[in-house]
Amino acid sequence: MSWFSDRHLFLLAVVVYGLSTTYSVFLWRKGFRRDDHVNYLLLLGAFSLHTSAMFLRGFRLNHCPVSNLYEATTFASWSIVATYLALGLWPRLRFLGAFASPVLFGIGVFALMPSLDAPPHAINSQVSSVWTSVHAALLSLAYGAFGLSSVAAVMYLTQEHNLKLHKLQAIFSLLPPIQRLEAVVGRLLLSGFVLLTVGLALGAFALAHMPHPQAYRGSPKIVWSAVVWLLYLSLIIMRWKFAQGGRRFALGAIGSFVFVLLTFWGTNALDALHNP
Amino acid sequence: MSLVVLGLNHHSCPVSVRERFAFAEARVPAALQLLRQSSISDEVVILSTCNRVEIYAATSLEPSKAFAALKDFLVTCHDYRDPLTDEIYTLSEPQSLYHLFKVAAGLDSMVLGETEIFGQLKKAYNLALQNGHTGKELNKAFQRAFNVAKHIRSSTSIQRGSVSIGSVAVELAEKIFSQLSDRDVMVIGAGDTSEKTARALLSRGARGIIVTNRSHERAVLLAQDLGGRAIQFDQWAAEFEEVDIVISSTSAPHYILDRIKLEPLMKIRRNRPLLLIDIAVPRDIEPEVNFMENVFLYNIDDLQAIADDYLKQREEEVGRCEQIIREKAAGLLANPTSNYPRPEVRPAYNSR
Repeated sequence: MSWFSDRHLFLLAVVVYGLSTTYSVFLWRKGFRRDDHVNYLLLLGAFSLHTSAMFLRGFRLNHCPVSNLYEATTFASWSIVATYLALGLWPRLRFLGAFASPVLFGIGVFALMPSLDAPPHAINSQVSSVWTSVHAALLSLAYGAFGLSSVAAVMYLTQEHNLKLHKLQAIFSLLPPIQRLEAVVGRLLLSGFVLLTVGLALGAFALAHMPHPQAYRGSPKIVWSAVVWLLYLSLIIMRWKFAQGGRRFALGAIGSFVFVLLTFWGTNALDALHNP
Repeated sequence: MSLVVLGLNHHSCPVSVRERFAFAEARVPAALQLLRQSSISDEVVILSTCNRVEIYAATSLEPSKAFAALKDFLVTCHDYRDPLTDEIYTLSEPQSLYHLFKVAAGLDSMVLGETEIFGQLKKAYNLALQNGHTGKELNKAFQRAFNVAKHIRSSTSIQRGSVSIGSVAVELAEKIFSQLSDRDVMVIGAGDTSEKTARALLSRGARGIIVTNRSHERAVLLAQDLGGRAIQFDQWAAEFEEVDIVISSTSAPHYILDRIKLEPLMKIRRNRPLLLIDIAVPRDIEPEVNFMENVFLYNIDDLQAIADDYLKQREEEVGRCEQIIREKAAGLLANPTSNYPRPEVRPAYNSR
């Protein structure tokens, strides 16, 4: 079975994410009126395949699989589905799966692009240490939390829209109350921000121990990370200090994650330190 | 011996007629006794609610003779002298059995599928049972009716959803707020529907209630009744910071709450979600406020549309319910000798 690699397992996981996305279309059309066991089980199955793929890769590399873009992307999407499965233990939050599966499927298809799974660059090996592994893992978890918070924000906007327009679906659906959804968005975003802060601090620590760290001061990835950190910090401050909750907060969570999605790979490509 | 039903209900006559035939609860045992003594029926139950007055009798008389005697009893008993046309209906088997089952399941109620009638029917039956006016026939029919009603309730959607303004308002509140136990309600204008809506919210755990009305005395009375507090009508805006749900039903000819007034109030409330229920006609709240963030405005038509849709869903279930009723009634009629255990006699107040 030497032909069967961890990528094949991940491919299977992406296929199940695809099935879950298709099933989610039916859930949307039905208006979320029945308990969402099927989608939860589909995502649980995909999670098992996804986890096995990551384990295989981790055992092969003998360290946490976050050394290239493919691994970082699969780690981030793994943290999205893991957090969803935990939240989905509450029946009404189970419908998050219908909003999460298209995101997981999209990220999964993107991660499977062969060019993303390149062997680590020499400069990466130079800085390779436990700290950089933890740095990359924490950031992947942070982006996972941001991803799920944006998914919950889409769910919030859907329910808010239905309530505002007096659609009967707002009443008939089994979606949770919007106030609870807003709390879920806020908590996931805060958790992601804490992980991002610790992850970036560890990255800075690892960078400080490299020869000529000042050479990377203007690195696109470092500047980008600072921008993302400030973006999420401003969202959190706006919510807690200036009471900008509700729709604006949800739009902010979605917009910030879309920004991360669209720029993450580009800044990596431009950066010598992070580009494999 | 067969089961016959004679009565009148909200389908057959208006309340002005129904109220003249209603039996006060205290009079029912005597009426039952009279019916038994008159040898019209061997077993009898009288059901008297705001929507119906019905006599369920097991009789060995020909149905036509039994109906004439029962009608005469009903008219004489209430000293009703006005002419009657189609107000009083009569049913013999198997329609009488179908009717009993439909009444028990709430299919014949004004609000389709409501459950209150089940308790009222049980109470009426227990009263007759307690006084020894039921026997093998009625015990069998009523117990089967209660079983059928429970079966219909559990196996169909006939009782699903909210069909009253108050309960729709509660459902909306539950879609907006994580829990109602830390939410305060303000009632502006102490009308009947606003009172019912406030009661529905309180029954689902709303924390407190503030009542305001142009007539302060009325506000005080309602606040006392609901266990809340009353405030002067010109002070309601000052209390807005605390409330999350507003029920408005004043008779003001203009908007009492508009966007210009609400914007600064929302800032004071730190943009917490606000559910506005405007049941006044003409409307009390400017529709424009619904465009504000975290403000959810529903007027009487919006609430009624939701209630109607639930009702429509219930109506779609009627066919299934009637099929169950026909099968169960046919089973009972096909096997009239089947033994039902003699029911336990309980005090009437335990019947619900």
